[in-house]
Amino acid sequence: MKPLAYAGLALLLAALQAALLRHLGGGAFSLCLLAPPLVHLALTAGSAEGAVGAAAVGYVLDLTWATPKGLMTSLAVAVFLGVRLVGAAVDVRGRRGFALLSAAAALGLSLGAVALQRVAAPPEAQPAWGALGARLAVEALLTGLAAPLVQLALRRLDGLLGAEAPDLIG
Amino acid sequence: MLALLKRYRELLLVAVLLLVPLAVYFAHAKRPAELSPVDRVLLAVTAPLEKLVGAAVTGTMEGWSGYVALRGAHERAAALSAENRRLQLAAQELQQQRAENERLRRLIALSESEPRRAYLGARVIGVRLAPAGLQLVTIDKGADDGLARDMPVVVAEGVVGRIHATAGRSADVLLAIDRNSSIAVRVDRTRARANVRGLGRPDLCRLDYALRSEDVIEGDLLVTSGTDATFPPGLPVGHATRLQRAAHGLFLEGSVVPAVDPTRLEEVLVITSGARDPSLLPAAGGPGVGP
Repeated sequence: MKPLAYAGLALLLAALQAALLRHLGGGAFSLCLLAPPLVHLALTAGSAEGAVGAAAVGYVLDLTWATPKGLMTSLAVAVFLGVRLVGAAVDVRGRRGFALLSAAAALGLSLGAVALQRVAAPPEAQPAWGALGARLAVEALLTGLAAPLVQLALRRLDGLLGAEAPDLIG
Repeated sequence: MLALLKRYRELLLVAVLLLVPLAVYFAHAKRPAELSPVDRVLLAVTAPLEKLVGAAVTGTMEGWSGYVALRGAHERAAALSAENRRLQLAAQELQQQRAENERLRRLIALSESEPRRAYLGARVIGVRLAPAGLQLVTIDKGADDGLARDMPVVVAEGVVGRIHATAGRSADVLLAIDRNSSIAVRVDRTRARANVRGLGRPDLCRLDYALRSEDVIEGDLLVTSGTDATFPPGLPVGHATRLQRAAHGLFLEGSVVPAVDPTRLEEVLVITSGARDPSLLPAAGGPGVGP
C-alpha cells in the first residue's frame, strides 16, 4: 500500500513542480520535489517496502523527466540505499538534516543521471558537465529549501496510511 | 536453498530493484523512449493537476494585477501584446514567403507542392527543464485536438521545438535546447547549411556541421532549412555566436543563442499541417538532417 501511495504522491508532486516552475522562473532554474520522498522512505520505511516505494518514485521520475526507461528507477533505489547508509551512520533529526539529505539526494540523482547518460547515450546527445554544473547545484539548493514543506506532506501521508490499517500494527 | 532465499529475500529484492531497471536502461539508452499505455495514463493524470495549479496561480496573480492594481491598463496591454505577437508572426511569415518565392521562382513544381500551414494555439501548463532529463514543456492540447508526435511548435520569435509525446488533452514539447534535438538550418544571409543541437541549457545551443569554408559570421540569423521533414523552412532558430575556425578540420565550431527563450513561454502555436514526405527530400540521411 505504501509504495502505491508514494507513487501517487510522486505524481502529484511532479505535476505541482511542473506547474509552479511554469510561473516561477519558467524553467530558468529547476528543483526536484521527488528527492525528499526518497529520503523520507530511507529514514522511515523498512528495507523491502522502502526499496519498492523508491522504485515507484523513480518510475515517476523516469516518466516526468522523459529519461530512458529504468535510469531514474535504478538511481532512486541507489539513492534510497545511500541515504539509508547515511541514516544508519549519522543521527538525522530535524528539518535541517532532512533538508541537507534531500539536497544531497537531488544532487545524487542528477549527477548519477548525467554520468550514466554519458556512458550510454549516443555521443552527440551526451550531457556535458560544464554546461550543467551550475544548474545542478542550484537544483540541489532549491530542493533542500523546499524539502521541509514536502516533509510535512509526507508525515501527513504516513499518518493517513497508519490510521488506515491499525490492525497490522496491533 | 529456499531457506537461503527466505533469509536474504530483502537483499535480493533491493538488488533486483537496483539492477533490473539499470539493465533496462542500458538496453534502451540509445533509442528514444516510447510511452507505454500505462505511461500515457499516468501522464494524463498529471495534466489536470498542472492545469489546476496553473489556474490557481494565474487566477491569484491576475486577480491582483488586473483588478486591484492596473485593471484597465493590464487588460489592454495583454490584448495588444497578443495582437502584436500574431502580427509579428504574420509579418515574419510574409517576409520569409517573399524571399522564398524569389528563390523558388524557377522551381514551379516545388512551389506548387508547398501546402498551406495550419496552426493550433496552445497554452503552456507545465515546465520540465530538469538538467538531467529531457527539456520539456507541457501544453494543454493533445491527441484529442489532433496533435501528433514530431509536429513543429513555434512562437512569433521562432522555433520552440516539436511534439515529443501526446496524451488525450495534453502534450509534451521537446524544446530545441534539448540535447536530443537537432534542427537542420541555413544561414539566412548566405544560405549555408548547418545543424543546431541543444545542450540541455536554456541560453545556448551548439552549431554543428557548419563547413569551415562557409560564410558564417557572428550574429548571423539561422533559420530552419526544411530538410529534416519536421520543420517547415524559414523559421528562425537562433543567432550564431562564439564562432571558432580551427586551423584544420572540416567544420567550424560555434554556439547559437536560441531565438526563443524557453523560460518565457506562455502560448505557442503547433503547426498541424505542412509536413512534407521525407522520402521526397534530397538530403535525407545527410548531416543536415535532424533526429
